Order: sequence, then structure tokens, then C-alpha cells
Amino acid sequence: MENNVLIQVRDLSKSFGELEVLRSVSVDIKQGEKVVIVGASGSGKSTLLRCLNCLEDPTGGEVIFEGVDIADPKVDINIHRQKMGMVFQQFNLFNNKTVLENITVAPIIIRSKQLRRDKWRAFFKKGEKPTLNKEQIVAEEKEKAMKLLERIGLEEKADVYPSTLSGGQKQRIAIVRALAMNPKVMLFDEPTSALDPEMVGEVLDLMKQLANEGMTMVIVTHEMGFAREVADRVLFMDGGVIAEQGSPEEVFGSPKSERLKSFLAKVL
Amino acid sequence: MYLEGLGNTLLIALIAAAIGITLGVIMAMVNYINKKTGKLKIPTKICNFYITVVRGTPVVLQLMILYFVVFAFWDNGIMIGAITFGLNSGAYVAEIARAGFESIDDGQMEAGRSLGLSTWQTMRTIIIPQAVRNSLPPLFNEFIMLVKETSIVGYVGIYDLGKIPGLIQSRTFDYLFPLLIAAVFYLVVVLILTKILHIIEKKFGKSDRNQGGVTNGK
Repeated sequence: MENNVLIQVRDLSKSFGELEVLRSVSVDIKQGEKVVIVGASGSGKSTLLRCLNCLEDPTGGEVIFEGVDIADPKVDINIHRQKMGMVFQQFNLFNNKTVLENITVAPIIIRSKQLRRDKWRAFFKKGEKPTLNKEQIVAEEKEKAMKLLERIGLEEKADVYPSTLSGGQKQRIAIVRALAMNPKVMLFDEPTSALDPEMVGEVLDLMKQLANEGMTMVIVTHEMGFAREVADRVLFMDGGVIAEQGSPEEVFGSPKSERLKSFLAKVL
Repeated sequence: MYLEGLGNTLLIALIAAAIGITLGVIMAMVNYINKKTGKLKIPTKICNFYITVVRGTPVVLQLMILYFVVFAFWDNGIMIGAITFGLNSGAYVAEIARAGFESIDDGQMEAGRSLGLSTWQTMRTIIIPQAVRNSLPPLFNEFIMLVKETSIVGYVGIYDLGKIPGLIQSRTFDYLFPLLIAAVFYLVVVLILTKILHIIEKKFGKSDRNQGGVTNGK
């Protein structure tokens, strides 16, 4: 049981100056689990998500990912972030890179650096000679990126710049960009909130596909229908704590607290 | 004679621009990293102090201080002029580049970091190229200013384009004509530079939507 917990959050707190946004939040996220976080704006749900990969440095508590407390400033966070994909409300595609480069840039940089390190190790007879050279790595990543683009039906957009794409296309590319790192978990920060209504569907469809493939997902969203359909567990955040949690049926069907009832009355 | 002066003017401006851009971009980067991560506090203070002092004093005085005091042992006036203008323009470029860095959405850095890239890797591949592109027009303006401003080196007896008319006047007692020729020289150089810089700007702008997005089909 303990073994398939992927992320363990212990007494996590975060304040911005005087403002306490998270107050001692604890939650476990299991391998393959789909957790949806809902709550009013300002309830701390986005901050909780952003603390999971330390984009916000927590002010207290632990985030244990694969047995390592990544909230510890001494830990090399970059290595762990490679295994945690993140999708943003504003897409945040790299404006100076083509669609294909957007997907390949991070894996190529990271693998090239590893390659240089391996070469030195081999030089000093401390390790095996790397089997691939730089060109092969680039070719491999490009091929992988093209497969990902084919999957979302955007392979003909490989060489255009993001500024020419629609919101829905940008967000789907942002999702496969994160997938290119082969992450263990995907974090979604309101992925459809900045989209025109007619584009929400294509992004949610892709997320459903991911869910069906068994990806561990943590999703902050206002799409209650999607939450009901996909979530294994729904967390309702209020005032910096997890006020209520349970299966979608429990949370949406029989809310216990007044706060959750009034929240649901507003959004449903 | 004019050509020799022109050569000196361009040499000073080019070296100065190289020093200025390097210095300015480094200072702007220090400032940006400080703002985003809170690190590099002391370097940021030093940079800000430097920028304040350099921008708050006339360049003629800076030139004289460097020429007559700091580099008093050195008789290469052109190099001293170039260094002065480089140090001076560094402060202005720093402000230009700072605006360039600030025009980049925070999400670009966050996206890079979320993929597991380090701050420096993200700076290098994502932030700096965009910041440079955004600051190109004011940077070019600064460079053109630099070409003209270097005429100040005449103050310490360096023969640049702006100094030549005075020399001719002292021999021929003709005042208007030598000045006009020098002015035409400056104008032509600036026009040529503007043209070249426009071409460079276009090349850098290829990821802009209104530049056609390059390979976006028809």
C-alpha cells in the first residue's frame, strides 16, 4: 500500500509575506491516481499544485516524491522536475521556438549534458562509453516529438511558431511537450481556463486519453463535468486547507460542509 | 583625411558597442536573476550604482578622467576613447536590455523550469534570445547615437571624423564647407547603418506572427 504512493505531501505551508495561502496541507497521491482539486479562487489550489514541483518554494513542510523530499533546498530540484510534467493556464509555449523545437528543446539539452558527463566518465575509465552520439540523440528526440504531434494530429504544424496557433492547439502542444520528458506525473494548472469554449473539448479529450493510459494526474480545474468523469478523488480547498475530499460522487453528490454546498451551487 | 577620421570614428564606435553590449547584457541579466530568484544581491547593488553614476555624469568628463588620469600612461587615444564609450554605453544598454528582459512573460521561465531545465539553461535558450530580439530597435538606436557621440573624442585630441573640419579650417579659413562635408559623411554612415540594422531586425523577427510565421503554408 505504502509503496504505490507517488507523492506524499506533509504539513505543507506557504505564505506570501503576511498572507498565508496554504496551512499545513497533507495529502498522498498514489501511482496512477487522478486527483482533481477544486475550490474558489484564492483558496490555495493553484499554489498547492505549484508547490508539488516546487515552482513555488514551500515555506514549511515536505513534498516527498519517489522517496526524496524535494522541498528541501539542498536537493537538485531539476532532476526531479524532469519526471513531473506541468501544464499551465497560459500554455507558456516558448515563443522563440517552433512547435517541434518546443517539444525537443528540454530533452535535447538535458540528454546532451548527460552525454558530456558520460563521455568524461568514460575518459577516466569510470563508466561505460555512451552508446549514442549527439546527432543520434537529436534525431531520436525529433522522431519522438513527431510521433507525439501525430498523436494530436498537428504534425503539419511542426515548423511553425506558436504565435500562429489557436489556444486549443497551443495547449495540446504544451501537454505533449511535457509528455516528451516521460514524466511519472502530470500537473495541470487550470488547463482550459484561458481557452475559447469551443476549444475546451479537444484539450479535455487529450487529458482523458492520458487518464485512460494510466498516467498519474493532479488537475486544478473548474470543469466539474470533467472532474466527475475522470477523477478518482476530488479535493475541495477552502482557506488554504483541504476542506473536504472523497470520490466525485461523495463530493458532488452529498457535500457535507456549507462552504462546499455554496461553492457547488455557484459552479454547477 | 576625412576617410581616416571616418575610420577612427567607426573603429571607436564598433569597439565601444561590443564592450557596451557585453557589459549591458550582463548587468541586465544579473538584475533579472536577482528579481526572479532573489540571488545575486550584492552584484545587483554594484550594477545599479554603476548605472547611476555613469548615467548621471557627462560623457566628456568620463572621457577626460579616463584619458588624463586612469590611462595617463597609455598613449593609444583611440582605444581609450573606445573603452570610455563602451563603459558609458554599457550603462545605457543595461537599461535597454532590462526592459527587454522585463517584457518576457514569467511563464516562459516557469515552463523551462517545469521541464527540468536549470535557470541558466532556460535563460540561454529561451529568455535571452527573446529579450535580445525585443530590445533590438532601441539597441540599434543606441549604436547610431554612439557613432555620432564619439565626435567628443576630439576633446582629447583624437582625430575622428568630427575633428577633421577644424583641421581644414585652420589651413584654409573656409568654415562652412568642411563642416558640411563632415555632416554629409555622418549622415551617409547613419543611413547605411540604419539599412543594415533593419535587415538584421527582420531576420530576428521570424517568430513574430506579423512577419509571416515563415513556414505557415500559403
